[in-house]
Amino acid sequence: MFHNYLVSAWRNIIKNGIFSVINIFGLAVGLMSCILIMLFVRQETGFDTWLKDHQRIVRMHTAYLMPNQSPFETVRSAGKMMPAIKNFAKNEIEEGVRLIQFDLTVRQNAAAFNEQFTMVDGSFFKLFDLPFIHGNKASSFNKPMDLVITEALAYKYFGKSDVIGETLTVCCVAGNTATLTITGVIADLPEASHLNTEMIVYLQPALFPENDNTLNTWTSLNVYTYFKLNQGIEIAQLQQRIDYWLNNESPITERFAQSSPSGKVTDTLKLKLMAVTKLHLHAKRDAGNLGDLTPMGDSDMITTFIIVAGLVLLIACINFMNLSTAKASKRAREVAMRKVLGASRTQVAIQFLGEAIALVFLSLIFALVAVELVLPFYNEILGKELSLGLFDEADLLLSLISLALVVGIFAGIYPALYLSRFLPGAILKSSKSVESKGSSQFRSVLVVFQFATSIILVISTLVVYGQNIFSNTMAVGYQSDNKLVLNIQTADENLPSLTQELLNLSEVTSVVFSSEVPSQDNENNNYFKLLEPNANGVLSEQQVINYHNMGYGFFEAYGVAPIAGRLFDEDFGSDSIGAVAEGEVGTASAIINMSALKKFGFRNPQEAIGKTLVSDILGMQHLTIIGVIPDIYFRSIKFGLRASVYTLNPKRFNVASISFQSNDVTSLIAKVEDVWQVNVPMQPINLQFLSEMMSAQYQDELTTAQLFLVFSMIAIIIACLGLYGLSAFTVERKTKEIGIRKVMGASVKDIVALLIWQFSKPVVLANLIAWPIAVYLMLTWLENFPYRLSSLWLVPICLAVGMLSLLIAWSTVGGNAAKVARAKPIKALRYE
Amino acid sequence: MLKLHNLTRVYQTNDIETSALNKVNIEIAQGEFVAIMGPSGCGKSTLLNTLGMLDSPSSGDYIFDGENVAGYTEKQLSVIRKKNIGFIFQNFNLIDELTVAENIELALIYHKIPAAVRKEKVDQVMDKVGIAHRAKHLPSQLSGGQQQRVAVARAVVGEQKMILADEPTGNLDSAHGQEVMEMLQALNEEGITIVMVTHSPAHADYARRTIHLFDGHVVTESVRAAEKTA
Repeated sequence: MFHNYLVSAWRNIIKNGIFSVINIFGLAVGLMSCILIMLFVRQETGFDTWLKDHQRIVRMHTAYLMPNQSPFETVRSAGKMMPAIKNFAKNEIEEGVRLIQFDLTVRQNAAAFNEQFTMVDGSFFKLFDLPFIHGNKASSFNKPMDLVITEALAYKYFGKSDVIGETLTVCCVAGNTATLTITGVIADLPEASHLNTEMIVYLQPALFPENDNTLNTWTSLNVYTYFKLNQGIEIAQLQQRIDYWLNNESPITERFAQSSPSGKVTDTLKLKLMAVTKLHLHAKRDAGNLGDLTPMGDSDMITTFIIVAGLVLLIACINFMNLSTAKASKRAREVAMRKVLGASRTQVAIQFLGEAIALVFLSLIFALVAVELVLPFYNEILGKELSLGLFDEADLLLSLISLALVVGIFAGIYPALYLSRFLPGAILKSSKSVESKGSSQFRSVLVVFQFATSIILVISTLVVYGQNIFSNTMAVGYQSDNKLVLNIQTADENLPSLTQELLNLSEVTSVVFSSEVPSQDNENNNYFKLLEPNANGVLSEQQVINYHNMGYGFFEAYGVAPIAGRLFDEDFGSDSIGAVAEGEVGTASAIINMSALKKFGFRNPQEAIGKTLVSDILGMQHLTIIGVIPDIYFRSIKFGLRASVYTLNPKRFNVASISFQSNDVTSLIAKVEDVWQVNVPMQPINLQFLSEMMSAQYQDELTTAQLFLVFSMIAIIIACLGLYGLSAFTVERKTKEIGIRKVMGASVKDIVALLIWQFSKPVVLANLIAWPIAVYLMLTWLENFPYRLSSLWLVPICLAVGMLSLLIAWSTVGGNAAKVARAKPIKALRYE
Repeated sequence: MLKLHNLTRVYQTNDIETSALNKVNIEIAQGEFVAIMGPSGCGKSTLLNTLGMLDSPSSGDYIFDGENVAGYTEKQLSVIRKKNIGFIFQNFNLIDELTVAENIELALIYHKIPAAVRKEKVDQVMDKVGIAHRAKHLPSQLSGGQQQRVAVARAVVGEQKMILADEPTGNLDSAHGQEVMEMLQALNEEGITIVMVTHSPAHADYARRTIHLFDGHVVTESVRAAEKTA
């Protein structure tokens, strides 16, 4: 019997040429999209699950929620917290570790490389049980300055794996060059890891001064703190213990309780635990502006893509349902004959369901081939290394087979029930159409759904793209073109000669220094208080405000003009901040932006000039406000504007902005690199275009937009294929009507117009349904951006997509319609 | 009114040539009522379709109202057709999705007649064939006889000069068949030329002349006795 089913199924696939192609192609592309998204989602949701004991590892995040201040959140914590909490919660905590990550230079022979350096407590490998290739966690990591590197790094520097006993000279550890001996080699970390460390060093607490802001601090947040829970302890239990400790027994309880209106420390200082496996996708909500060790995933994006994958597949399934029921009349006789010969309804239904599943499996094979073909491009867009290891990973194979089964059953169940319902008597006796009004209406509903879905996807794509263009091109308040950014942190005493030689280059118009350049975020926040009472005679409270350090000529180089007052000027000789001894007060200058002006309560820019800000920067300082500048977007516009104070503290300069006039940037870069080599030997250069640094901020959105574009195009193509098939079928079914109309004198034009209108109706309806939904979704999405595309843009976008969908539908249907309309009417009537 | 001269229609399917009409010569005058009879496959329907310009001859001449239309394109034919010829089919060929009135109106829609005039004409013709009380019904809600009356109404509503009827009573019982024949006879008396294919000798008797076809040839033509006319 199954042989008979198979024969019947296969011959139907062959006989219904174009319909089968549409079905298989649609399902294959739908499945391909689904598999691609599944691979991505699988990796994103599987981060750090490869870690041994990952269920017991948590990280502690910090949030300061001071009254009258915007909250400060980060995934880091203060250096003194880990040992104190570990000591307090002995029952809950098995192990704790702090991790400090910074860049340093590794020198080997004449070459120098930038590497990321991770200093950790000696407990690191007890918590993160990473597999050793050479050495082991007991022997390789038992004293300060022991160095464990990854195998990839071993090959990079020594060309071999076993490098125990070899040394690496690095700069700088606590300000000094150090030669470290390698004591162990671990396997490279998997891609799905929130840690990205390649050099792990047993930290030497003695390297850190008593009052530094890394290890020996309760408030500066510069380390990453991890705990491993004891067996059987829930995260919530430890969280409870930490909250209790903060509120009652910690050394900072008194201090923080004072600034909390409720008197509870945990209302102003939160230490939040998060399971290590959740970090990749969920750390974002605790991360503030500082980010994490590795780029954070986005759980919203994951949800969105899962939905998109589902929709694409659904659209493909609908094609199958529509085409199967549409051509049902052609198979009615087969059903009738099978029933006459004794088949039950169930048997007939199972036969058709089986055909659907067989077709889906056939499509799955095509889909897998397609996935292999497009995976390299997909990886490039995502910046990932996903692979389809079907036979290595049983769970993947199993989930694909279940997916195909589910899709097959979903797509096949309605046609199976519909077809198996036919009563043999009615069909065999009459030549009448077995098509019921209900089923053709149901098809229309499905077509409307397909198009509405596709339209929503396309509108969303355009809005996401539009926002991206808007972000990249909006007026940020300064000139960002023709600028190179050079990291000068390693230039040290060579900075003056380096600067002079750069200025000597004919292309270079200026070299200015600053703590950050646009696109580089910082969380340097400080207390600032106005010395003078305001116009109403009220003394203002002190404010925590973000501050940057800018050198002479910085604002000029970036084309920022003061609204009131002046910019930093070397000729005044009084702008720069110098160190001040305990008990004394220094004087220097400050510039504020418009947001800060409002925050301090000034009524206009002029009013602020000459007023004094009190702050603790290298000692107590009185900073005279010499200028007010417009608000400029120092960061991604996602974050909006913030109040900022600009001071001039040469000790905090990290980067040089090199403005240039040249069309030959390649030769300019070569020249800058030469100058660097000569002046700062043994240090790798870190040179970037400002414009590239700025676009990189929007890379995430761009990736989302690109993927969105690809998948919504796929959705539309599949939907159009379905429409094409359906129109071919409908035109076939309408042959009689068309014949009659032609006999009555209708022209080809009349007939084509009639058919096109018939197929336009569902598309128009789909637009009317899709527009409000898309508009609502996109307005909600745009809320994420303080500076966003005007919502008025949605009107032309919706109209354009509406027109486009009609044009696509017309061109899809037009060909079929014209073909039949041109035929001699007698052919149409004889068909009956 | 029309004249066929050596008209031949050949069908070609998969290397096999079938001659449906072979050098047929027929002349039909204005106001005639002609029946065409013959066994299945003799070319009756092909002849009727050719007369109705739904199909073009392979060779020979077809003079309609003094014009030789044999080589006309589908577009040219459609102009002549919609002005002059109405059709009645065995299976009625009504559009299932349109009401009785809309089906009848279809014959006027493509003639660029204003809606108000169309409505008036449709109402008139529905009265004439006695289907006015069913104007808003769909074809599936009517009996076969009623459906054929709708088809007759559709064939004459445009004031066509000639009606071609392809077994108009083939799907009807004898009572309804007679009803339709009487309607056709009445139309003929108003001056409309009628050419009808039929299997029923009794219904052929309504015609003044009967053409017998066999294997694509006209074998006999018989003219009805004058006394029967009364």
